[in-house]
This record gives sequence, C-alpha cells and structure tokens, in this order.
Amino acid sequence: MGAPRKTKLLPYLLVAPTLLFVLVFTLLPLGEALVGSLFKQRLNIPKFQDPVFFGLGNFADLFGDPDFLQVLANTGLYVVLFVPLSLAAALGLALLVEEKLRGIAWFRLALFHPTVLPLVSAATVWMFFFTPEYGLWNQALHLLGYSGPQNWTGNPALALGSLVLVAFWKNVGFFMLFFLAGLQNLDRSALEAARLDGAGGFRMLRTIVLPLIRRQTVFVTSIAFIGAFQTVDHVFVLTQGGPSGSSSLLLFHLWQVRFERLNVGQGDAVTVLLVAVLLAFTVTNFFWGEHREK
Amino acid sequence: MKKLALLGSALLLSLTTAFAAPVEVSLAYPVAVDAPITALLKGWAQDFMAKNPDVKVTLVFAGGYPDVKTAVQTALQGGAKAPTLAVMLATDVYDLVNAKYVDNLDDLVAKAPGGAAFVKDFLPAYMGNSTYKGKLWSLPFQRSAVVLYYNADLLAESKIAPPKTWDELGKAAQALTVDGGKTRWGIEIPTENPYWTFQPLAIGGGKNVFTDDVTVNFNAPEVVDAVQFYNDLSKKYQGTPAGVQVAWGSSTQNFAAGKTAMIVHTTGSLAGILKTAKFKVGVSAVPGKKAGSWASVTGGGNLYLTAGHSAEERQAAFAFAQFLLDPSRVATFSAATGYIPNRTAATATPEYKAWLEKVPQAADAVKALASAGPELATQNVNGVRSLFNKYLQSAFNGAQSPKDALDAAQRDADKALADFK
Amino acid sequence: MKSRLATALRFSALLVLSVLMALPLVWAFLAALRPPEVPFAAGNVFFGGYLSFENYQKALSLAPFAQYYWNTFCQVGAILVVQIGTASLAAFAFARYRFPGDKVLFTIILLQMMIPSAALLVPNFSTIRFLGLYDTVAGIALPFFGSAFGTFLLRQTFLAVPRDLVDAAAMDGCRWDQELRHLFLPSAQASVAAFALSSLSWHWNDFLWPLVITQSETARPLTAGLVRFTQMGEIGAQWGLLSAATMIVTLPLFVVFLIFQKPFVRGYLSSGIK
Repeated sequence: MGAPRKTKLLPYLLVAPTLLFVLVFTLLPLGEALVGSLFKQRLNIPKFQDPVFFGLGNFADLFGDPDFLQVLANTGLYVVLFVPLSLAAALGLALLVEEKLRGIAWFRLALFHPTVLPLVSAATVWMFFFTPEYGLWNQALHLLGYSGPQNWTGNPALALGSLVLVAFWKNVGFFMLFFLAGLQNLDRSALEAARLDGAGGFRMLRTIVLPLIRRQTVFVTSIAFIGAFQTVDHVFVLTQGGPSGSSSLLLFHLWQVRFERLNVGQGDAVTVLLVAVLLAFTVTNFFWGEHREK
Repeated sequence: MKKLALLGSALLLSLTTAFAAPVEVSLAYPVAVDAPITALLKGWAQDFMAKNPDVKVTLVFAGGYPDVKTAVQTALQGGAKAPTLAVMLATDVYDLVNAKYVDNLDDLVAKAPGGAAFVKDFLPAYMGNSTYKGKLWSLPFQRSAVVLYYNADLLAESKIAPPKTWDELGKAAQALTVDGGKTRWGIEIPTENPYWTFQPLAIGGGKNVFTDDVTVNFNAPEVVDAVQFYNDLSKKYQGTPAGVQVAWGSSTQNFAAGKTAMIVHTTGSLAGILKTAKFKVGVSAVPGKKAGSWASVTGGGNLYLTAGHSAEERQAAFAFAQFLLDPSRVATFSAATGYIPNRTAATATPEYKAWLEKVPQAADAVKALASAGPELATQNVNGVRSLFNKYLQSAFNGAQSPKDALDAAQRDADKALADFK
Repeated sequence: MKSRLATALRFSALLVLSVLMALPLVWAFLAALRPPEVPFAAGNVFFGGYLSFENYQKALSLAPFAQYYWNTFCQVGAILVVQIGTASLAAFAFARYRFPGDKVLFTIILLQMMIPSAALLVPNFSTIRFLGLYDTVAGIALPFFGSAFGTFLLRQTFLAVPRDLVDAAAMDGCRWDQELRHLFLPSAQASVAAFALSSLSWHWNDFLWPLVITQSETARPLTAGLVRFTQMGEIGAQWGLLSAATMIVTLPLFVVFLIFQKPFVRGYLSSGIK
C-alpha cells in the first residue's frame, strides 16, 4: 500500500535538494531585495539608518538620475557589442579548428587558454597593454598606422570598447569549444554536399550549418548574455567606470551604490532591475529554444 | 536553528573558560604587493605577542583599501566580528562613523599609559580626518602627500631651475618636452582618478576644493582657474598629454625611465622611484600660482578600531596600535616605504636620521607637508568624489568648458550633500 | 591542389590568430622574468637585459600559493560534485515524471540563473555566518550547491531519452535510481562535460564572493589571493611581480590542460551536446 504513495512523493524528494539551495541562497535574498527596494535606507545618514517606506521612490530616483541612464546605455552597448562579436568570432574559430591539421592541439590551446585565467589577472595584464606610450596595444596599432588616442581606458570614446576587448579575449575560446562540439556532431556528407554544390561559404553557413547547431547557439548565447551582465571584475581593474562614467556597467554601479555609497534601498532597486532584464531575456530565449525544439 | 546556536555558544563559552584563551586581535591591512611592509608587520606582530603572551595577533592582508572596507562592512552587516583593527582611508571617516562601523577611541586613550601625549604627538596635518563630532575615531597610520618629482639631472643639464610658480612649471614642462612627447613629456599628472592629484593645483590656485564635511567649492573661481591651468599645460605649453591620458600606475615608471621629466605623485612612491631611477630625483611641493605659494595634499590610510568588540579586545587592540606607532617603528616603516612619518617623535629617532642620510629627498617630502591641505573628505564621500572626478575628466577632455563642468559638479554635489545638512 | 592551398591558408590564419591570442600571456611570462630594477618604459617591453627569478621569489614569499591551490581545488571540486548530484536528481524528476506543480517548481529553480550572486552578497553572507561557515571553504561553496543551469541542461538531455526505452525499463521493474544510472546518465555524458566545464570555469574565476566570505589564508582561493597583487594602491604598478603571480596561478593549469587535453577534448567533442 505504501508503494504508490512513495512514487507520488518521489519527484518532490528528488527536486528537494536543488530547490532548498535555490530557495535559501537565491529566492529568499531576492525577496529581501524586492521588499528592500520599496524602502529608503542609507547607512551613512543617521536619520535614514533604519528603513522608511519609500514606495517606488528608489526607482523614480534612479530613472531621474542621468548617471544611471548612462549606465543603462553603457550596459546595453556593452552587451550588443560583446555578445554578437564574440559569438561570431567563436563560430569562425570553431570552423577553423574543426578539421584535423598539423599542430591543431596547440592552436586550440592558444585560442582556449585565456579561459583558465581569472578575469582579474587577465584584466591586469591588459592594463599593461593599454598603457600609453609603451603599451603593446598602442605599439601594435602604431605599426598598423594608427595615430589616434593613446590611453584607451582613459578615453571616453574607447573605455567601454577596451572592456569589450578584454572580455572578448577572455571568452572567445570558451564559446568556441561549444560550437566545436556542435560542428563535430554534424553529418559530414551534408557539409561536403553543400561545398560541392558550390554554395557560397556564407550561404552554406547560414542555411545549413547554423540551423543544425541551433541548440548550441541558443546555449552559448545564454551563457554569453548572462555572463555579460554578471562579470565586472575588469571594470574594477581597468576603468573603475570612468572616464566620466563612460564605462560603468549595471553590476558595477550596483556595487558602488550598495557598498560605496551605502544606499541600501537604491542598491536593492538596481538588483531588482538587473534581475528583471535577465529574466526577460532568459524567458524569451528559453521559450524560443523550447518552441523550436518540437 | 536557534537552539543549535545556543548550544554552540554554550560549548564555546565552556571552552574559553576552561583554557583561558588569549585575547584575539586581528589587523586588516591593505597590502599592495609590497614585501617590506608585510615582512615588517609580521615581525612586529611576533614581537608584540612575545611581550604580551595573553594576546594573539592575526594579520589579514587584503588587496587594497576598498577590499578592507568591504570586509569590515559585510562582516558587521552580516552580524559577524570584523577584524579588530583595520587600515582604511582617512577620508572615509564620516561614512564609517555614521554607519557605526568604527568605534570611538577616547576612553582607550584616557586609560592607556601616556595615551594623551601619544595622540598629541601626531602631525596636525594628519589629524584632520581623525576627529568628528568632537571625538577621536582613528590614528594616522600610513600617511602620504602629493608632491612634485623632478628629474634633477635633466633640469640641471637644460639649465632650468626647479619651478616655483605655475608659469615656471608650464615653461619647464614645455622646454623639457621632446618630439611632442614621443620621446619625453615635460610633466605627467595622473588623471584616471584625478581629484587627488588635482587638489594641489586648486590649493596652489588659492582655494581647496572643499571647506568642511558638507561644503564643497567645486566651482570657486580659483578651482576653475586650476582646471584651466591643467588644460594649459597641454594646450598652451604642449608639455603634457592632452585630456585624460596619464595612468596612475605607469606614470612613475615613465618618470623613472626618463620618458617624462616631472610627475605629480604620492610620497608613497618615493622608495619605488628611487630604486628604479638612474638619475638624481628632486622632490618638492607642487608650485602654486603666485611666487612663494606652494601646495600639497594629504592622503593615505588611518588605523581604525572596528565596532562590536569586548572591552578586553578593544584594550588589547589599542595597545597593539600604540606598539605599531612607536616612534622607532614609524621611522622604520617610513624608511621602508617612503610614507611620511606621522609623528613628531619619529623624526628624532636614529632610524629616521639614518634614512635622511641615505635618502635626502625624504626631508623635502616632509617639508612639502607644511603646505598641504586636507584630502577631499565629505559626507557621502564616494558619491561626491566620483561625481567630481566625472566632471573633472569631462573638463580635461574638453567635453565641457572648465566653468560649465565645475558648475555642474557643484550643483550635483550640493544635491548629494543635501541630506546631510 | 585546391585543398592543399586551403589547408595552407587555414594554417597561416590559425597561426596569426593564435599568436595574437597568446601574446598577452607570453608577454606576462617574459615580464615575470624581468629584473625588477629595469623599468618597462625604458625600451624593450619584452626583455629586461637579463633573466631574473627575483619576481617569482618575491611573489612566493608574499602569499601561500600552495594553500590557495588546495583551497581552490576543494572549492570547485566540492561545488562540481554536489552540483552534478543535485542537478541530475532534479533534472531526472522533471524529465521523467509529471507531478502537480512541476512547472512552477522548475520556473522557480530557473530564476537562479538570472540573478548575479554579486547582487546577493550581503544576505548570503548573513546566512553563511548563521550556519557557522564564515571563513571556510565550505562557506564559499555552499550557496552554489544547487544549480539551475545544471538542472536545465540535464533536463533537456534527459528529455531526449526515447520514451519506449523508459517504459521498457519500468516494465522490467527497474527502480528509479537504476533508471537514472543506467539509462539517463549514460546518455548525458556530453552535457555533464559541458556543464562541468562551465561550472569549473565560473567558480574558478569567481572572486568577489570568496573575497568577502573569507579572511584568513587557510580559506582563501587563488583569485582572492591574487587580488593582492593586482591592486596597486598608492604605489605604481609592479608589472613584473604581478606577472609572476599570474604565472604561478596559471602555469600548472596549462600543464594539466596539456596532459588531459586529448582525452578531454576528444571525449567532449565526440558526442557533442545534444
């Protein structure tokens, strides 16, 4: 008599461990942030030390603040630059290293190795590259005939770009690996047939290869997108959001509001917005992936 | 859960009474890759424990000032014990006190042997950030000042006297620049986090950028003038890279390698510069606008006692602080790093005299301190500082005129400080 | 003929790209061997005249790297093992059974993927402290024991297991754990590998959380230890020392990668993520 009951309970028991950790370390704190975003609490002002109900005031403050609007614009630009660029390059590299070749292992290692470098140290090595005058980056650009600004991280037009560059270097090999997995799985005859048909390289890519590795593409896009929002170590090391706020990203701003300006309520409000954006993306991406699956 | 915690603490209590555990004191220190400092502190902690067997000292080395502050902050907000002592920026005092992260020191000073005289001995220039609301909150620890470093050999060769006014500084920078900066710049003033190295210009122009914890003078005519002078260094004199170009970390290397003839930098870099530079290094305060006016600005970290410790811990921590700040140790510390001695008594020690003999520039650095104004320290200091940086940079980059940028800075700063008045 | 030309082109393209990608680390490798007295601005940024191990000696004297390694190893290892366990159980439940509330529970778990752990630093700190795990490796690892990403990925893979096979197994009287072990998990090797890779790289890189939740050397992982070298404070950058620290952290990994890369890449690639 006990058996059917056990089966009914079983799925819940199996889900329980994951659910427990997610509840305790994600949902509960998120709930706290949601509630906290409705209160004014600033730890460095004695009269606002304890939370006071503020309605949507924190959000109103944020959207009335040109700095925050700039942060939003920066973040949007960062994601729009980083995600497509690194994914396209990763796919290109995957196509290059997919077939056997002399020394292919070394090429893969060279392309993949930045992944194992902690972003903090990757950014620091790049800081040297960006150094004006004798930084390698500038020397290389000079050789190519570049005579523009020297200090990339100090230039309002280039600071965000240099962050994208570092993130690109760090991640492109990682993304490449996932594409590679997809490509190796393809039916080789389809590829060969397309080549013999004289289908142009790009057309072949678009019409044959991409649809076949859609699953990997969705997967890597999610990682890239979420990662773009969740990593700020290079901002800490390279630009501190400057100059003039031109390279501040959402999570870095959150850090500043919460830990530097000790504005708890507003920090919670930024958290809520950050989660909302990621939620919107993931849900769309997930349903798109699920839908096309069938 | 609560029962478990109770049980745990009961167990802990019985343990402590059984073994009469030593009083634990920890010191969080922002070490930026400097071996002499870690080695010195480790040795001193050993010495202190040898003399005080009932105290156990632990050193916590964190990366930089922000890391130490975050560690203290999260610990206290999470309800844990923060490191007993922490070296944090002197200018953070208002935030730290208002948020109740740090503890008042007055009762400890009163109780400690020779406490009052000990506190009185610190240089007045460095005590500016230690008191708030009439109480003592921190002790000067590794304190610095912004000075002008110049390549004395190069100036002598070019028959240029060390500059004493803005005009002389500009002309010297112009004369020392070679090949439009490709071979050498005349001067480099770091601009990636510009408020600090900019302050000597404002002070030399006649007015510091702030008056007290709720009043800033960002758009005072003297400050606008100073921004104009900074821009003139590139536009009028062509002696420095235009705009936001000079990085903090590489300017000292450029200087030591002879790629720039002068830099405005912290005294904390003195030891490093002397180690790599192959020429005679000159040090002075930053020249002011008018003849005879000199300027510098203080900086660096103070030793704070964090909140939430027992009477024994507080007392042991203060004793350790006093031990670290003993005149001979202060002098040894200065000699190893280039940080200016923070106490008068330290300048009378043999260690200090030996240092001066070896490094005569140290005396110039100390002299520069006489013309130093306080580093920008206000309520909500991180907010105010970052908006000031933002507008300074946009004025340097020519995105806004100095006047427009500083007017906007003043307006935003007044708004950021409104809640504190 | 044509294919030989194509191969040569491919080879040279790869060579150029690989050199470009490797340049930063090659530079760091050389910079670490540069004598500290020779400033980079002096000219050649690759070679400082002669080779010196002073930077390495100094870096090793500054931080207990062996301890950091051990801590990191324990941290990412514990996270990975537990994650794979919890995630495959949950994924199995979602893929194999229909039960009231399954959609809701799945969505709740998925939420975790969208929330940056940095945003939840303070509340998670309180929880870890309440559990008495502050300043321990377990404290760093615990919040990540449940993985939405792993659950999601494995569920996708498990869904592809043919229904007939599952029904047949049930008819044969297979218990659920036998089904999971003999039917579902073997089909998911590639997904597990993909997940392992991303989990390892993510937690290996994480530094804000370990920095906040630990304070003694006995618990700090490599990244939090390395930060001491990257922060420059008031003093100018010491590229040589920094590079030495970076190399100490990365070189052993490369060796490991070189040794394991063939079986790893082959095993991982042969099946691909389905």
